[in-house]
Amino acid sequence: MSVKTTTLPKKYHEAVLRWKDVFLPDYDFLIENWDKHFPNDQTFQLCAYREMGMCAEVECGDMKGKPKAKKASELPEESAHHLFGAIRAQASTEFGSIQQHRLTLARAQEEEEQFWILRMMAEELRHGYQMLHLLAEDDWSSVSKDSTSDVIDDILSMNTGSHVLGAFNIDFDSFVDNVVFCALIDRVGKYQLQMQKISAYQPMAESMPQMLREEAFHLAAGVVPMRRFATAAAKGETFVTMEVLQKTINKWLPRGLEMFGDERGGGTNVRLGLKPMKNAEAQRQYYREVEKLVRDLNLRYLRARLENLTHGESEAVLDRILAGETVEGVRREDLLHMPHADFFRRRGMPAFKMTGSQGETFTSAHDYLQHLVRVLPESYRASRDYKDYADALLAVEAGTMTLEQASSRMPALRRVAGACPCSKSVRWVQDEPAAVTASEATAQPVA
Amino acid sequence: MTETTPGVRIRPLDELDISDIVAIDEKISGRYRPEVWERQIGYYLRRDPESSVVAEIDGKVAGFMLGEVRSGEFGLEEPTGWIEVLGVDPAYRGKAIGRHLAEAILEHFRQRGAHSVRTLVDEEKQGDIRSFFTALGFEPSTMRPFVKTL
Ligand SMILES: CC(C)(COP(=O)(O)OP(=O)(O)OC[C@H]1O[C@@H](n2cnc3c(N)ncnc32)[C@H](O)[C@@H]1OP(=O)(O)O)[C@@H](O)C(=O)NCCC(=O)NCCS
Ligand SMILES: [Fe+2]
Ligand SMILES: [Fe+2]
Repeated sequence: MSVKTTTLPKKYHEAVLRWKDVFLPDYDFLIENWDKHFPNDQTFQLCAYREMGMCAEVECGDMKGKPKAKKASELPEESAHHLFGAIRAQASTEFGSIQQHRLTLARAQEEEEQFWILRMMAEELRHGYQMLHLLAEDDWSSVSKDSTSDVIDDILSMNTGSHVLGAFNIDFDSFVDNVVFCALIDRVGKYQLQMQKISAYQPMAESMPQMLREEAFHLAAGVVPMRRFATAAAKGETFVTMEVLQKTINKWLPRGLEMFGDERGGGTNVRLGLKPMKNAEAQRQYYREVEKLVRDLNLRYLRARLENLTHGESEAVLDRILAGETVEGVRREDLLHMPHADFFRRRGMPAFKMTGSQGETFTSAHDYLQHLVRVLPESYRASRDYKDYADALLAVEAGTMTLEQASSRMPALRRVAGACPCSKSVRWVQDEPAAVTASEATAQPVA
Repeated sequence: MTETTPGVRIRPLDELDISDIVAIDEKISGRYRPEVWERQIGYYLRRDPESSVVAEIDGKVAGFMLGEVRSGEFGLEEPTGWIEVLGVDPAYRGKAIGRHLAEAILEHFRQRGAHSVRTLVDEEKQGDIRSFFTALGFEPSTMRPFVKTL
């Protein structure tokens, strides 16, 4: 197993550094304090890593057993098309998540956890860099009319609100968002990376192993603080309550589920040898994994609250409480629950179905929105993203908008100038572009 | 992911294994130490998640082995695999789970360029672990730990 390290051509590398100065201003602070928080860990390096010696034959689909493509020009046009869209979308999520995390990074209560998130942000920057490397290394002119520098420029100029995937367009309101996002949304990333590890396009496959190694830590950077929050809540501390954790899970899980794409789709990627699983199957596995996380958090809470319990006893007590019994003062409402998979969805099969967080059904949008008042974080309901959802739901109920129109309006779907006209992966843009601060406006990356 | 004896699956460690590892440690040591494992597992995951493995039986973790490849320490210039923490659920001992875990981790160390693997065992207190490593072909090394009370 060997890993090849490369950097982007100078002008792109420098564009990423300029982007970093605007959106990751704590980068130098991270590097200066690296040894304090991560002693003996290899210091972070902004570069692309490619794993050598991976499987050289297509692993699924119509071309199974044939040699993998080393260049985009060796791919069937349909595959190249899909891949180009996927790389851009992936790049957009990597850069997008840094823009979200930076909003609330400074609010962390614990320095250790703050540094975990900061390291994770630097690694997301590297992931974005890795995707730009795939764009810059190859010739995509058969599927994109735009020059490489335009495509890269386009990616680096996206702001929260204009990213390709919904979850990356939602602002963070507190440090709880930072950690829950890592635990839930980076987990979707892990699935995507794992699936792309078999990609029929070898440069993509070779990019995955190092990204997956980094992703393993991102999940821990989310899950460990969540476990600590649950413990502190059980001991009566008054910082992050179980209710806040629950509401934050309710905010992000639906977006995570939607990142797998429509439940009916994904067959094309399998046929083209780009991914081994259809959307619904990957989404199901993801949901089960988050169920395990929720159960672990409940067990952690229970053991911290009822200190005399053994491990075996706590499992049994948890089941009794979840079945509705109150045990030594602990009620079902004190614990976390897994939001129903149809809850608060706006894309895919359950879009706008008005399913409650615990599977309740609602028949009027008014009642459903009242339910959302009880189960979503207050700060999130004051956001643009939530208002768009509520407006769309009411329009669907009034019959002034079809389900399809409502789904595709989240946020408003519109081609933007410069996007490849033949691309199916259209950029999402809000009607009014998000305000750009003076410093951000100067971050025009690729000159 | 290696498919080994029927029903046993060896796979890389992940962050959702914390609870099961805490439970195994509690069975072995009699102490409930979630904070210790939260930090430990975070450490191994950020170093190299594939250098640490768990054994799953029916979806439940029955054993774990945490380690990493390091070089440039103790005069050992070449990359060396280190097995640092291990445990098999007492209910599943003697079923070659420890052996399967070691085989998987050693294979990964080899891939990472290590030519040898080392561990440290307290001969007085950890007779079982000593026998285990001996059965796996480990031999006492000439390198000795030195210690001084402070
Ligand atoms: C040591 C340990 C990992 C062995 O796990 P296991 O799954 O039962 O071991 P295996 O079944 O794979 O055994 C592999 C070999 O080791 C030998 N072995 C294992 N435990 C042994 C023991 N207690 N005495 C003698 N030999 C032993 C087996 O006989 C077998 O040899 P073989 O293959 O030649 O027949 C397990 O007993 C354990 O977890 N002990 C406690 C570890 C601990 O204290 N951890 C916390 C601090 S780090
Ligand atoms: Fe990433
Ligand atoms: Fe990540």
